[in-house]
Amino acid sequence: MTGLDREQPDVYRPAEDSGLLADAAIEVAHGRVLEVGTGSGWVAERIAEERGLRVVGSDRNPHAAAEARDRGVDGVVADLVAPFRDDAFDTVCFNPPYLPTDPENEWDDWMEHALSGGETGRAVIEPFVAEVGRVLAPGGVVLLLVSSLTGYDAVIDLIEGAGFDHEVVREESFPFESLSVLALRQ
Amino acid sequence: MKESLMDVICCPLDKGELELDIDERDDEEILEGTLTCTECGETYPIEDGIPNLLPPDMREDEEAAA
Repeated sequence: MTGLDREQPDVYRPAEDSGLLADAAIEVAHGRVLEVGTGSGWVAERIAEERGLRVVGSDRNPHAAAEARDRGVDGVVADLVAPFRDDAFDTVCFNPPYLPTDPENEWDDWMEHALSGGETGRAVIEPFVAEVGRVLAPGGVVLLLVSSLTGYDAVIDLIEGAGFDHEVVREESFPFESLSVLALRQ
Repeated sequence: MKESLMDVICCPLDKGELELDIDERDDEEILEGTLTCTECGETYPIEDGIPNLLPPDMREDEEAAA
């Protein structure tokens, strides 16, 4: 994961993980789409362009929401799925912050929010998996990017605990991690 | 924000319906305005075309950090 860029240091840049999520989403997405943690809005824009779907991009970071809006995505500043209605989306995509981080070394800026998953790497994935079912319409699908760095089996436990079935739709290995995109369905 | 976004958003605190007050708009989008929860009365700003729907405590943390 190499999402740093000197020109726009406040917003995560599209990287290998973004590309994998975009490929999966272009294949699987349908209906009304939400991308959580949209960052630069690149994945959301690709889904909108290649599938002709309407995509909402949410991010905690207002700089990110603004950049997504510049790409024609409906940008919203939000904490995960909190401000979205029950059953509002047919597809929800998320490339979460997943790097395990020593709390002593957290750097507390926007890039840290974009990358750090707390001590386990799962600090953001846990509440997301617990809450996303509420905003998912019947027949809907969640596309979640999971890194081996985050503890693949532990994430699967969270997914099953929240009552989702899962299926691997994309997988790729890199020198320091393997990335998977899982499709979760209720 | 496009007005159609109203179909999918709600108050992040109690999931109440939001009421839209428009201060400035162009042909396609609402640029400045306020969203008010019809249940709890909490307000959320729309600035530069983007609604900020963070819960008020998170919004204040970030304003303090900025």
